[in-house]
Amino acid sequence: MVSGSSSEVEGDETQNGSHPLFTYTEVFNKHFPFYLSIGMTYEDFWERDCCLVKAYREAYEMSKARRNEEMWLQGLYIYDAIIRVSPILHAFAKGGTKPTPYMEKPYDITEKAVEKTKRDKEVEQFKKNKRMVESFAVQHNIKMKGGNKDA
Amino acid sequence: MAKQLRFDYEDKSYTLEYTRKTVTEMERNGFIANDITEKPMTVLPALFAGAFLAHHRFVKKDKIDDIFLHMTNKEDLIGKLAEMYNEPITALVEEPEESEGNVSWTASW
Repeated sequence: MVSGSSSEVEGDETQNGSHPLFTYTEVFNKHFPFYLSIGMTYEDFWERDCCLVKAYREAYEMSKARRNEEMWLQGLYIYDAIIRVSPILHAFAKGGTKPTPYMEKPYDITEKAVEKTKRDKEVEQFKKNKRMVESFAVQHNIKMKGGNKDA
Repeated sequence: MAKQLRFDYEDKSYTLEYTRKTVTEMERNGFIANDITEKPMTVLPALFAGAFLAHHRFVKKDKIDDIFLHMTNKEDLIGKLAEMYNEPITALVEEPEESEGNVSWTASW
């Protein structure tokens, strides 16, 4: 070996033919702990379809995004709770001050829940309108009867 | 899904594939990936035999050699087997498909 040659660094033994810088096995072993940490089994990584790793990577990104969203929502609930309690938090709050009650139900975060809330509101509004109309009709009938009697 | 090579020989179906385990085994037995580009026709028999390990581990060497002898279009075969052999490692180090945010680079040599 010629002194100063970079054969060890380059992994190139020019007289005996070139050898790769690394073996595939070394690369596999380097990545294996990461895939174990995201739930891949030994069999899945080493013995099953070698493209499974792509799906596991994508699933990992999705679960990170989901977890981030959950943490954000939790922060929102905490923020909401602090705001509701804030009237009694400062030193010179008037006697008898009460905090705003905590929400009766969670935020609507799914499409289904939003649709349901919208429908419930519409039904409630319909019932209210119906009661108003019925009450008006009853009063109107009373007036009419009273008018006939007079006549 | 991983790339596979399928064929029938003497009324039996064969599926050739490489897993990380079989690639590791081949390297342990002295197979060098670089030789696929440097001496393709020399390593073709070993590459072909290695592809049996995943699904047909106990097929005898004589049988594999016999099948290899009857395989047509060996020049295409080496290309396909090389692609299959590299798949376990490319699946690990593949870059994301979206180009947004990725950095393109060029070398000066």
